[in-house]
Amino acid sequence: MSAIISAPGQSRQRILDHIRVATRSVAQNAPQLASAYAALPRTYIRRGTLSAQARIALMIERLREYDAEVVESTPAALPATIAAKLAASGKHIFVVPPGLPAEWLAKGYDWNVDNNLTTAEIELAEGVVTTAFCGVADSGTIVLHHSPAEGRRVLTLLPDWHLCILRASQVVETLPEYFDRCQQPPILATTISGPSATADIEMTRIKGVHGPQFLHVILVRDEI
Amino acid sequence: MTQVAANHPVLDPVFAATFPKAALPVLRNPQLRKNVAHAIDVIQAKRAKLVAEKTDWQELRSAASAIRAHAIENLGAYLEEFEIRCTAAGGIVHWAADAAQARQIILDILRQENANDVIKIKTMTSAEIQLNPFLLAAGVNVFETDLAEIILQLGEEEPSHIVVPALHINRSQVREIFSRRMGLKDLSDDPQALTAAARTYLRQKFLTIPTAISGANFLIAETGGVAVVESEGNGRMCLTLPRTMITLAGIEKVLPRFKDLEVMLQVLARSATGERMNPYNSLWTGVTPGDGPQNFHVVLLDNGRSSILSKPTERQTLKCIRCAACMNSCPVYRQTGGHAYGSVYPGPIGAILTPQLMQMHHAQSLPFASSLCGACYEVCPVKINIPEVLLELRSQVVNQERKDLARFFDPMYLGLRIANLLFARAWLLHSAQFLGRIGISFFTRKDGWIHSLPSVGGKWTQTRDLRGFPKQTFHEWWAARGPATDPALSKEAT
Repeated sequence: MSAIISAPGQSRQRILDHIRVATRSVAQNAPQLASAYAALPRTYIRRGTLSAQARIALMIERLREYDAEVVESTPAALPATIAAKLAASGKHIFVVPPGLPAEWLAKGYDWNVDNNLTTAEIELAEGVVTTAFCGVADSGTIVLHHSPAEGRRVLTLLPDWHLCILRASQVVETLPEYFDRCQQPPILATTISGPSATADIEMTRIKGVHGPQFLHVILVRDEI
Repeated sequence: MTQVAANHPVLDPVFAATFPKAALPVLRNPQLRKNVAHAIDVIQAKRAKLVAEKTDWQELRSAASAIRAHAIENLGAYLEEFEIRCTAAGGIVHWAADAAQARQIILDILRQENANDVIKIKTMTSAEIQLNPFLLAAGVNVFETDLAEIILQLGEEEPSHIVVPALHINRSQVREIFSRRMGLKDLSDDPQALTAAARTYLRQKFLTIPTAISGANFLIAETGGVAVVESEGNGRMCLTLPRTMITLAGIEKVLPRFKDLEVMLQVLARSATGERMNPYNSLWTGVTPGDGPQNFHVVLLDNGRSSILSKPTERQTLKCIRCAACMNSCPVYRQTGGHAYGSVYPGPIGAILTPQLMQMHHAQSLPFASSLCGACYEVCPVKINIPEVLLELRSQVVNQERKDLARFFDPMYLGLRIANLLFARAWLLHSAQFLGRIGISFFTRKDGWIHSLPSVGGKWTQTRDLRGFPKQTFHEWWAARGPATDPALSKEAT
């Protein structure tokens, strides 16, 4: 506790002044900064080289490696595939984002559409069904940008069971290819790689801590 | 605060013992050393496997290093850009020159919110500014939510690693802590059961406590966004459910563009936990109506960082993305664990960061807590040349010490001054060698080795043997050898 308390109002200027003095020798204006940034080396792999088949196979393999369960489906068979997944889950109460197609919501379940559901209402749900923005095969990662069909962040967090519908055309091979697909940076983004997990006790991997314990993915073969 | 045991680790560099002293309790505790070595071995093996499968690993390292170097060299511009974008997106940006200011800013926000309770995502920066004891003293209940942090908080333990802070505690010790503090009599020591206990313990707190504190892995200048990298989902809970969110971030955490994450996320996950990608990454930008906290504060913390920036060799310390690969690869850390470093930042990065954050007034023993083997540099995903900085800091410490009058008769500095005299004058050196050979012969055993020396020499012989003086010095041998006898040599000479 050796620090001297000073007025926070002046801290901004003080810190920036310190930084300015310390970094006098570098870019002095915005164009210089932009060209210095543009010159940074980026020789790592930006684009994958796998065929479409192999890319999807890798995505499935990597998802499974991190304990996600994956099934494939054609676009036409998707509602039936979803219904089969729901039936096999043994769960009845679901939340869904408002943008999900109505034909996906099979009869016989309690569907709660998220038109500003309260946290308590979402907490009561046993499962959630959403789409995704992108899949990255290299790491088996699903990316959500939280659009109306992907749902608010809390929706894919509280229920213990998450069924994610991912189209093959959304799957890229490398992480940089996901960034290339973003027209502009997302306001919100969540990447999911397998179910929530911890290795804090003796480095033993335990799945299902606070986020969903079960991650199911239906890969829709829309391009092959 | 409760009374702590005499050998309780002190992680405040101002009060901590020197590294060699603080390392002793660990070196004498076989259980602790076993726990540390086991955890390190597991992470190391996982990391090595996943780095090996990445054919462009060195290119990723080069890019990550260049991006981080560029970001900190242009820190002022990027911080201002971050502030403008974050503010435009509905966030409130605060600047804290030091730890005390950061603590006060956070407490003021909590008071405004009438918050008696707060949930926290693991943040080493908050440990750096000793936030928890401060908030507790101010009457705010702090609930850590990362599994390792819960173990430490309930067990009144200190972190010994920056990614897996409770790696020195094994399952039966966790069981003991949880059953005592959560009142669970029949808890087993199965990690699955222990994790489930933590989930139950926290669930209601996540759902009801309206204020949260987080750290930041990255600040994005381009968008004003903040990225948090995690595994358990406790981070997502804290980032999503509360009404108010306070993010504490070191000023060096800024990245120029969103796109830079394509490099940083790849190197961070592999380096930190040996995963292709950690289970969750969250990125948010200010306040989003209807989704997540509607009040968002960022506290930008300097606390010694801008002074590191002014030094050309040491500046690279600020490139660090806190992956802990350096401590996992360090032969010294493997033996001593984290507490010996007397700081929340242990291992090689701690050995250079801590004394610099203390502006070289404390923690001067840390730059010497290394064998300079260079393993840390080799694994560092942003290519911080830690041995180079260690050597620079060592020279600063030595320069501080040798000018210190109180150390005038310190055997080491006295010895070095005498050596300085001797080596400058041949006749003095020869006489010293003559006398030295007589003196040292009393300590030399029949096998030609010295097994123990008194005084400062004992520092060497405590752990190593020393060869005795040879019968002849090199100079004597040279003078006695006569003219060159090798025909090849004499031919060359003509």
